[in-house]
Order: sequence, then structure tokens, then C-alpha cells
Amino acid sequence: MIPLSASPDSASPPPGPSSPWPHVWAGVRAGAGLPAFMLMCSLVGVGGLCRDVGYPMGAGIISTLFIWAAPAQMVFFGAVAAGTAMPFIALAVSLSSVRFIPMCMTLLPLLRQPASEGRKGTPTWLLLLLSHYIAVTAWVEGMRRLPPMPREARIPFFLGFSNTIITAATIATGVGYFLIGQLPPPLAAALLFTSPAYFTLALMNNARMTMDWLAIGLSFVLMPVIVRFVPSGPDLMVSGIGIGTLAYLVHRVRREVA
Amino acid sequence: MSGFFASLQHATGGLWPYFAVLLFGFLPSEIWRWASVFLVRGLSEDSEILVWVRAVASALLASVVAKLLLSPSGALSVVPALWRWGALVAGALGYLASGRRMIVGVVVAEAAIIAAGYWAAG
Repeated sequence: MIPLSASPDSASPPPGPSSPWPHVWAGVRAGAGLPAFMLMCSLVGVGGLCRDVGYPMGAGIISTLFIWAAPAQMVFFGAVAAGTAMPFIALAVSLSSVRFIPMCMTLLPLLRQPASEGRKGTPTWLLLLLSHYIAVTAWVEGMRRLPPMPREARIPFFLGFSNTIITAATIATGVGYFLIGQLPPPLAAALLFTSPAYFTLALMNNARMTMDWLAIGLSFVLMPVIVRFVPSGPDLMVSGIGIGTLAYLVHRVRREVA
Repeated sequence: MSGFFASLQHATGGLWPYFAVLLFGFLPSEIWRWASVFLVRGLSEDSEILVWVRAVASALLASVVAKLLLSPSGALSVVPALWRWGALVAGALGYLASGRRMIVGVVVAEAAIIAAGYWAAG
């Protein structure tokens, strides 16, 4: 597992009595269950798409390691299959990944160690590395699991977790490259259904206050209307910012009244 | 412009797919992650603006899921819409009934969609 060596403290023992490794292993265990399973189900399909466009298996593998966003990978290979010009592919991929901004903005402050007297904050290079691992799965799991942890445990935990799921997903991409065409359709449908089911439950699991439930509920109710009037691409931006802001405003008003 | 990409494709030969993934997949996606590192500089984890950003992120993710079920691709589009939503609701109920255990919810949802798939196929 090469990515594990990305742990900042893997080469030298950290100062102080506590070792980061118990936190790393806790992260590995957290990732090895449902999150890894769900990602494997999704990335198997990406491997199949990669083969369909005639790219080598290695291209599918590096797309999982580097792009690390199943929807963006599907956009990429789908557009290659359609013969879209490369600059437009880049634009479509970029549009689908704009959603990383709110995810990174809420998760990175949980991970980083703020600078305080006698101690430097988390260096920028490490934050850039950590940000690479942030995709939907790391976000939903991180938002729930990180806040109760002591700050020095969070980065080791996150690296253990993320490297576990990215390894599982990469293996699944390679397997899917050879396997996907041979599945009976209902099982292929179940593979595609795993991530929407998992993300819905993870959102419910994370919801702590009315604002969260409003954001989730309104999105499900209003999305059928939004996709009818807003073109694909901007529709997610409109829904995310519009409904998110609405849920936040309700939260603000309720707090001020109380 | 397309001539430029054609010659780039020619020059890279068999390595083209790897270049394409990195240049037109990885970079346009990764810039948002890197930009966020600088956007949150100096913001504390409990600042008010991040409460709003969290609401936006939750709404975005729920919208992504809704869109996946509204206009599914490939094998999932064979399953009728009512069943897709039914399977999701079944999963949510399984999750709640089991004392909020995600694994139960996912298993129930998957079982429902597989049953629906065989039923739809006749």
C-alpha cells in the first residue's frame, strides 16, 4: 500500500509520547467496511467505461488515483466516448468537480492544526495533499467522525481512512475493466444504485440539526422541478447554493427567534 | 486548436490516454481542491460562514443523488423510476428501523433494487 507512506510521520517517530499509528489503523478499519464496499461498487463501472473507449487499464487506474471523483471520471470517459473535443471535456469535468469547494472548505478546517504559540500550523503542502483525498465519501465520513476526535488524531485517521478507500477503489477500477460486461442487468443496476443509497443514508446519519434535514429534504423535493428548467451542469449549482442558502436562512431565523 | 491536440496525441503515441486523463481529467478537477486550501486560510472551524457552506454542501450532495435517480445511466435506467425511489425509501426505513445502522439500510436498498430489476426484466 504505497499511499500509506504519505503519512507525514511515517518516516520518523513524532515528538511526544503519542504515536500516530493507532489513529492511522483506526482510519483503516473505518474505511475498510461500508465506505470501501460502496466505492468498489461505483468504480467497477468506471473501469468498464474506460475499456469501452479503448483506453488501457492503466488509464482507468490513474483516473481513480488522480481524479478521485467517480462522477468526474464518468463525465471524462463518457465525453471521450462521444468524441468530444478535449478542451470541452476539461470544462465538463471541472464543472462536475466544483462541488469539492464546499466540501473541502468544511473538512479542511477540521483537519488542520491551527498555528499557536510555540507550534506551527499544518503546512500548506500537507493541506494540498489532504485536499486531494477529499471527495464525497471522505467528506460525509469525515464530517461525522472527525469532530469528536482530538486534533492530533485527525490527520493520521484521515490518511488511514482515505488511503484505504482509494486503494479499494483503484483495485475495483482494474477489476471492472475486465468484468463489467458480464454481469446480469439487475446486478449491474444494483452496483450503480450503491452510491446513491449510501450517500442518502450517510447524509441522514450526519444530519444534526433542522438545517441539515431541510437541505436534504428540499433537494429531493425540488430537484425534479429544477432539472426541468435548468440545463444539466448548472442545475446542481443552482440547487446546491439555492437550497443550501434557504436552509441556512431558516436556521438563522429560528436561532434569532429562540 | 484541434490540430494542436491531434499533433499532441500523435507525439505522445501510446501514452496519450494517460496524458489525457491527467491534463483534461485530473487538473480541471483538482484546481477546486487546491483553491479551497487557500479559501479557508484564516477561517476557524466554527466560523459562521462555514455553517452556510455546510448547508450548501449537504444540499449539493442530496441533489447529486436525486439527479442520479431522476436520470440514471446504463443498467439502472432499466429499473422503473417508482422502484428506484421505492428502493431508496425502503433503505431509509431499514436504516431508521434498525436503530440508525447504515449497513442495514444499504442491504435493504440493494435487495429492493435487485428484486425490482428481476421483476422489470419479467
